[in-house]
Amino acid sequence: MKILVVEDDPDLRRQLVTALEARNYTVEQTSDGEEALYLGDEYPYDLAIVDIGLPKVSGIDVIKHWRNEGKEFPIIVLTARGDWQDKVEGLEAGADDYLVKPFHMEELSARLNALLRRAAGHAKPVLEYGPISIDTTGRVVYRHGEAVKLTSYEYRTFEYLVLNAGKTISKTELTEHLYHQDFDRDSNVLEVFVRRLRQKLDPDQDLQPISTVRGLGYRFALNPTSSDS
Amino acid sequence: MKIRSPLRSLQGRLLVASTLVLPIVLLIAGFALKNAYSSSLETAVKDRLQLQVYLLLGSVELKEEHIRFPESLHEPRYEKVGSGLYAAIHDKEGSLLWRSLSSTLMDDLQLSQKVDTGFMPAGMPRFKHLKNDGLYQYQLRIIWEQAQQEKSMLFTVMESDDQVKRDISAYTHQITLWLSIIFLVALLAQTLILGWGLRPLKRLAKDLKDIEQGQSTSLQGNYPNEVEAVTNNLNGLIESEREQRERYRNTLADLAHSLKTPLAVVHGAANEEHAYADYKVLIGEQVERMDQIVQYQLTRAVKSQGKPLGKSIPIRPIVERITNALSKVYREKQVSVQVDIVDELTFPGDERDLMELLGNVLENAFKYGSHQVTFSASANKGRLRIRICDDGPGVEKDQRQVIIKRGERLDNSIQGQGIGLAVSTDIISSYNGQLEITESPLGGCCFLIELPLG
Repeated sequence: MKILVVEDDPDLRRQLVTALEARNYTVEQTSDGEEALYLGDEYPYDLAIVDIGLPKVSGIDVIKHWRNEGKEFPIIVLTARGDWQDKVEGLEAGADDYLVKPFHMEELSARLNALLRRAAGHAKPVLEYGPISIDTTGRVVYRHGEAVKLTSYEYRTFEYLVLNAGKTISKTELTEHLYHQDFDRDSNVLEVFVRRLRQKLDPDQDLQPISTVRGLGYRFALNPTSSDS
Repeated sequence: MKIRSPLRSLQGRLLVASTLVLPIVLLIAGFALKNAYSSSLETAVKDRLQLQVYLLLGSVELKEEHIRFPESLHEPRYEKVGSGLYAAIHDKEGSLLWRSLSSTLMDDLQLSQKVDTGFMPAGMPRFKHLKNDGLYQYQLRIIWEQAQQEKSMLFTVMESDDQVKRDISAYTHQITLWLSIIFLVALLAQTLILGWGLRPLKRLAKDLKDIEQGQSTSLQGNYPNEVEAVTNNLNGLIESEREQRERYRNTLADLAHSLKTPLAVVHGAANEEHAYADYKVLIGEQVERMDQIVQYQLTRAVKSQGKPLGKSIPIRPIVERITNALSKVYREKQVSVQVDIVDELTFPGDERDLMELLGNVLENAFKYGSHQVTFSASANKGRLRIRICDDGPGVEKDQRQVIIKRGERLDNSIQGQGIGLAVSTDIISSYNGQLEITESPLGGCCFLIELPLG
């Protein structure tokens, strides 16, 4: 999952990026509204965190612009004043949630997770697929109730596939959503991740959670156990 | 230098208006006076000529077909040619029977003025101003009975209108002079009256300048009733501005004071031996505390003091904006919102206050409610009643006051709990309103807000 952080305060921005990366998100950042407009237009983000008080172009205008351009990724606004005028304006501009500064990273993480899940069409934080379940809040994958040890990139790859279950995801799309812009797209690192995921999640090869659609990409192939959608 | 139009000042406007209107009024008055005077002069001429006819009648002697006058008439002007008073007597057929010596230079036609005596009833006098000839004419036909014989005769007396013309001209001259004087005096009086009448406004401007320069704190002194409403409102405005400043100062002082405690704790902790985890907890707690202090004090300082000047905010659009926003944030709960409020209902105050007040209570309902939130508002007996209910777990009776009063005891507030409701309570009390928490028919709790209208 790729997140864009738009915040002008360098310390808060650094903290946000560090905290989000520690939670296995791919994070890109900018400090001003103008660059945010450009980045949002050019790259496929899964979510954006936007501060309302930005230099050059205000956070509200950035959000309005993205929404006018048809961008549908969830947006969380950060407001320092915390009055309802700000909150309502942000939400009316097209944001999906708000957070008043200062906030706990746990709070942000919970809101962010809920929005990402909601965007993927899931109501509950834990998604179950037979013996495999994924806890999007704790960002842990379980197999027969036991946590599977995954590296950060392995988790990201798996989560993206699960949140887009049933859809065939091309390698390009996966790369765009998992890595920074400067990632070397020609490497075969994705294949390595998928192979390792298959080994870790399906050592007996009786589940086949990830299928390869030849020439097109990968697809998460299991059916959900719980009835949410 | 920029030339300002006189119409930009009240005094200028009134003066321009009266300078235009006054001459018209005076002209009409002058015209009416002149007419009345000429008419009274003509009446006098008529009376005089009538008298002359009667005098002639009295002195005339009828002998056979002739008429005779005594040697000298009672009026010497008849004897002098062109004296300005003329007389003549015609018979029934219009033939001249007698004419005064004074009329020697006139022709008969001019004397009789082509009167058809047959059509003129006897005993009915006729008075005319013959403008072309410059004469007033008085005519009377009488029937003379003599020896069983009736004799009809037309008496005509005429007088030159020169005197009347002179009188009217002199009168016009006088009246023009006096009306001009009246005009000037009225204008002067008006200027003085206006200056005097508008003096309170000038004083107001001066007093305002004094306040601006810090020489005075309010508009004092006796202003006339019409201005008093304005000065009272201005005083209210100045006072609320001053209170606002005062509040900012107090808030800053409170802020500094209340921030010092958590800062002292953090400072003190630096000199103590703690495990890293304990530090984290301690710093976290104190930061939370400081955050709440800052938020609460800032909101208190910014909110207005519930003394708006003629402002009223439609409630419905604000409620809809907030519930739409909250429905988005709490989308997962799929809260159904029911808003029962007439479009015309307004909140007698500041829009920001209303938004803060309703935003906090509504968010509370969305947060703790399960699936249903209702909002209803109505105005009754000068009070605005707002009711916000949810179907959540509700609030225990003994906890209700605690929730409302949290802001008051901020230093002891519980970590993680917002100050939203305390801010709402603060706003409500600044509008002299009340907040009450009751049980909700939906199962949760209801927030009842009552505010005085107007």
